[in-house]
Amino acid sequence: MSAKPDDRGSWMGTRLPRKEDLRLITGQGKYVADIVLPGMLHAVFVRSDYAHARLVNVDVSAALEAPGVVAVITGEEMKSHCRSLRQPVLLPNLPAKYPTYYGLAVDKVKFHGDPVAMVIARDKYQAVDAAELVVVDYEELPVVLDPEAALDADAPRVHDEEADNLMFEMTFTGGGTDEERAKNEAEVEKIFQSADVVVKGRFRVHRTGTTPMETRGVLAEWSASDGLTVYNTTQRPHIDRLAFADILDIPAEKARVIAPRDMGGGFGLKAPFYRESVVVAYACRKLGRPVRWIESRYESLMNIGQERGQINTLEVAASKDGKLLALRNRGIADVGTGQIGVYWGFVMPFLGAVEMPNAYTWEAGDTNLKVIFTNKACLTPSRAFGHFPTRFAMERAVDMVARKIGMEPSDLRRRNLVPRLPYTSVTGEYYDSGDFLKVWDNLMVQVDLPAFRKEQAEARAQGRYLGIGFGCGVELSGVASELMVPMENQPGYGAATVRIDPRGKVFIMGGDAPGGQGHETTISQIVAATFGISPEDTIITTGDTGTTPFGSGTIGARMGSYFASAVRKACDELREKITHVLAHDLGIRATMEEFAFTEGEVVYQRDPSKRKGFREIAERIVMFPINLPEGEVGGLETTAFFEAAKPMICFNADACVVEVELATGQFKVLRWQTSEDVGNVINPMIVDGQMQGAIIQGLSNAIFEEFIYNDQGQQMTADFEHYKLATAADVPDVKVTYASTPCPHTPLGTRGIGEGRPSAVPGALCNALVDALAPFDIDITELPIRPSVLWQKLKAAGAV
Amino acid sequence: MYPAIIEDYQRPESLQEAVAILSGYEPGDAIFMAGGQSVMQAMKSRMVRPRCVVDLQSIAELKGISSANGLHIGAMTRYVEIAGAVELAGANAALRDAAQHVGDRQVRNRGTIGGSCCWNYVASCMPAVTLGLGAIFHLLDPQGKTRAVQADDFFLGPLETARGDHELLTHLSFETTPRSGSAYKKWGLVTDALPVVGVCLKLSLDAAGRCSAVRMSLSGLPAGAQRAPAGEAALMGSDGSRESVARAMEAVVDSVECHSDKWADAHYRQQLIRTLGQEVAATAFARARGEQ
Amino acid sequence: MKTVSITINGERYEETVPARMLLVDFIREKCALTGTHVACTYEGVCGACTVQLDGEAIKSCMMLAVQADGHAVTTVEGLARGAELTPLQQAFKAHHGLQCGFCTPGILMNMSEFLEKNPDPTDEEIRHGLVGNLCRCTGYVHIVDAVRAAAAQIRRGS
Repeated sequence: MSAKPDDRGSWMGTRLPRKEDLRLITGQGKYVADIVLPGMLHAVFVRSDYAHARLVNVDVSAALEAPGVVAVITGEEMKSHCRSLRQPVLLPNLPAKYPTYYGLAVDKVKFHGDPVAMVIARDKYQAVDAAELVVVDYEELPVVLDPEAALDADAPRVHDEEADNLMFEMTFTGGGTDEERAKNEAEVEKIFQSADVVVKGRFRVHRTGTTPMETRGVLAEWSASDGLTVYNTTQRPHIDRLAFADILDIPAEKARVIAPRDMGGGFGLKAPFYRESVVVAYACRKLGRPVRWIESRYESLMNIGQERGQINTLEVAASKDGKLLALRNRGIADVGTGQIGVYWGFVMPFLGAVEMPNAYTWEAGDTNLKVIFTNKACLTPSRAFGHFPTRFAMERAVDMVARKIGMEPSDLRRRNLVPRLPYTSVTGEYYDSGDFLKVWDNLMVQVDLPAFRKEQAEARAQGRYLGIGFGCGVELSGVASELMVPMENQPGYGAATVRIDPRGKVFIMGGDAPGGQGHETTISQIVAATFGISPEDTIITTGDTGTTPFGSGTIGARMGSYFASAVRKACDELREKITHVLAHDLGIRATMEEFAFTEGEVVYQRDPSKRKGFREIAERIVMFPINLPEGEVGGLETTAFFEAAKPMICFNADACVVEVELATGQFKVLRWQTSEDVGNVINPMIVDGQMQGAIIQGLSNAIFEEFIYNDQGQQMTADFEHYKLATAADVPDVKVTYASTPCPHTPLGTRGIGEGRPSAVPGALCNALVDALAPFDIDITELPIRPSVLWQKLKAAGAV
Repeated sequence: MYPAIIEDYQRPESLQEAVAILSGYEPGDAIFMAGGQSVMQAMKSRMVRPRCVVDLQSIAELKGISSANGLHIGAMTRYVEIAGAVELAGANAALRDAAQHVGDRQVRNRGTIGGSCCWNYVASCMPAVTLGLGAIFHLLDPQGKTRAVQADDFFLGPLETARGDHELLTHLSFETTPRSGSAYKKWGLVTDALPVVGVCLKLSLDAAGRCSAVRMSLSGLPAGAQRAPAGEAALMGSDGSRESVARAMEAVVDSVECHSDKWADAHYRQQLIRTLGQEVAATAFARARGEQ
Repeated sequence: MKTVSITINGERYEETVPARMLLVDFIREKCALTGTHVACTYEGVCGACTVQLDGEAIKSCMMLAVQADGHAVTTVEGLARGAELTPLQQAFKAHHGLQCGFCTPGILMNMSEFLEKNPDPTDEEIRHGLVGNLCRCTGYVHIVDAVRAAAAQIRRGS
């Protein structure tokens, strides 16, 4: 390996090339579509052409006669042979209307793309041929698509069994009782009445998401003795295992889920428990043969990955010298059908509302969220989970205040950043540690605002319009149990099994399932640093419920926070044992701290002649467990769990520079500069990559991508010709810098990073555009922001 | 996703063999496959379900650019070859402008000018550019008869051309008039996307440097590739000044129907005609003057 | 059914396949070379299935296997010679030019031909060359770094 440990002999903080890469750049990766089992059958779904219709009849007779077809499964069969997906293991502990639904649609279809039947054939081409022969008789029903109109008393109901389309409502401020909340509302109103400055906007964010390059895939196998094994593109195999068992009514020990070692991106899309997986698993049990389904891109864009999709009517009160005083928000989320296990579409906007106050101090707040059913695909988690829209609103509103009082937006932000942590936000979110001002000041050093303002003025004199925009974001560093249990009915802790073999090689087993973030490398660096060995001497296994400890999944930046900490804790437990045995063998009394694990040896620091090779001591403990200290037994393996005392955060601040062409509204992002508090960095190259990727996703979401339904609820953007992802030629370079504060709550001072990172992007981008066009006094309150929209605004402002 | 069943695949080695195979099938049952970058999409979405695919890859006469006797471009000439063809200068430089920005490298390595024109997708570039350049389309029928069709008569509307069901497009020919220049530019939301609007201009200059002949065409509009006669009329006699071009583009905007969709509304499309029109006019004039 | 003979990474595969079989399925399923990926299913927009046909980068989902009869295909598995990675592969590793790796084989196949045609590209040319390959993880920054570094390495080596 080209990278070397640092001066102190540690692998922490080095730009170690990834362990994953060799197999991936030589075509040896193993993704779900690369796994083939003998006798494997191929599944294809027949999906609804309508957004809302009664299923009068599903005629599968012609499909069953088609060449190669083995079976066709319908919703009625799923309903009579499996339980619904409304199982306790998949339900958050929050009061909401949770629809009952099955692997396939029963009685009626509720969105364009709702799965109606699954065709299974020996050949995948034949499966598609046969799917064309399934004849579905629909009776069209009126659709409800606008979330606000969906609350009308006479609006069509998405779910017949529910009284109305209001899925979830919550007020996040003021307290637990109606009385307390009313009192809070009145107090906030008083601040607004007396404030020098009030800004208000209706900030609309479209449906968009993160769209991994690999679509979903499920390969399920049934054995009479072992039960069900499912290779599933999932970020949370352990939850899936329980859900499969409960829905298919098989004993939990007879269900095993394997998230393939290589997964082509997740970004939240592969975190829910999906209904298609249930049908595939059911089919393999019914047929006694392996069944595989690989999602088409068309299905993927039609069914999943649609996030954001909120309207936030946000008001901010401030003093004329730039002190933010109070926020008031009324949020609306268009959840679609609400039919996605674990999240039910509303958990994202719920957390988005919690995260709205961002890094600013507020005297008071009054925020409410309504989540509303419509005949669209259910919102699916995507990185920047729920708060891409609320951040957009907040970062734009903060800029609007600055402009109104004539203050530099960056000064206003700095003035209002939470100066000291810990801090509890006005919506009750706990910010554990860090130094927001340090991060901000580093950003301003990178940016050199006075120089930019000069450049901007000179450019403007030549008719060129440059602008700078700022944004920032407090992001979750892992999700603590105190939030995970209510929100997702799952624990937050990290768990890791560490095993040292007789050759001194270290095996690490984790229950989460990464999708390209480089966990093998990062974990290897922690383990190598802890044991003083090479990262090459570590082997990481993730994602297999048969061999790994329980993990809630690769979600919410749990790696650098929870999983890494659990690994470290497990390694420390083994170090304790190793040094205990070694001290005994050396005939000395010494504690673990008196030994150094360095360069493949365990060295007694008071007398470095007393030392032993790491491999030798491992072999001695695992293979020759005689003459051990009293009470000690052989073997070197342990499982450790890590839960921080408090929820943890990371923080970032961004600046970007844009240039706008007045004649067309076409704009280019010239520079993107970040400043990050990610705690102690394990591998800066990997962290850079996470940040760059997240920021470009945010830009692509904000400018190019949009899921569009027509007025019959037809999904109009279910291919990449219509759902546009940014190409390399459309986006800027991203410069990442660090101004970190070690996290005091993790053993290595690390923070989990990257999950929420896109959320600062739309605000910063639009703030830069508004700054560029400041002479024309335009505002941006809706996404996506596209040249055509900007040009219309310029035209309305008389600029062109 | 996957094509429907294809009963037969043929790879003829001569033009005569190619048209003979096609004539053995009912119209639409057999299709010619050139680069396949459009027709494969249509086959995979099962919009097109041919019984027989006639792959033209082995017919040497269909390939290449020749400027021996006027400019001829074989129907199977790929974008990558057109994009890099230095002989496509002056009057026909717009072909390069377009070919360099069709799709992406992989598409340009396979996609062909003839395939694109015969498919005539509503928002593709090559139909508009060949129309703007006044290309002549040379067709061969199973009886061995050839006919030449002017671009104005070749494109009949999205996905429709004058090519008969059993005819093969063999090549396109272009005028190589002196003191002439052409240019094409499009705009799409992402780089090299299908055009939201594209403008092609070809003009010739008289001794005084004024426009003495002109053709203009547009891509990206619902009618597919279309001429812009109002703009052509207004550009006659122009010296290439911004004012004269602006007047011409205003005439275009007033005369063509622009539509609104998720990428841009009609007004924005009109504005793109104005701004792209200025850019292509500047390039076309410069090329005609021999400055580029 | 048609019998085809396609040389992939120097090895000749003779198989009888349905005329409608896509080249990408031939590569992945008949030849079990699963480094070539499928990410957009039918549009030919994502570039994950990019291979080289007679040395030129093309999308293998946009071609029938029968069309490749008699041709030579190179896939990502054919880049390295034994354990020796190409400069481009090395650069992708050294510069963290990949995360999930799903788009990577297609990018390598496109960029290795690109660098043959343009050995000293600007960043803008690299980005333009990458338009046919969508990546969702990296934001392209490290990919551009890797291609630039590989170009320099290849120039030094030749």
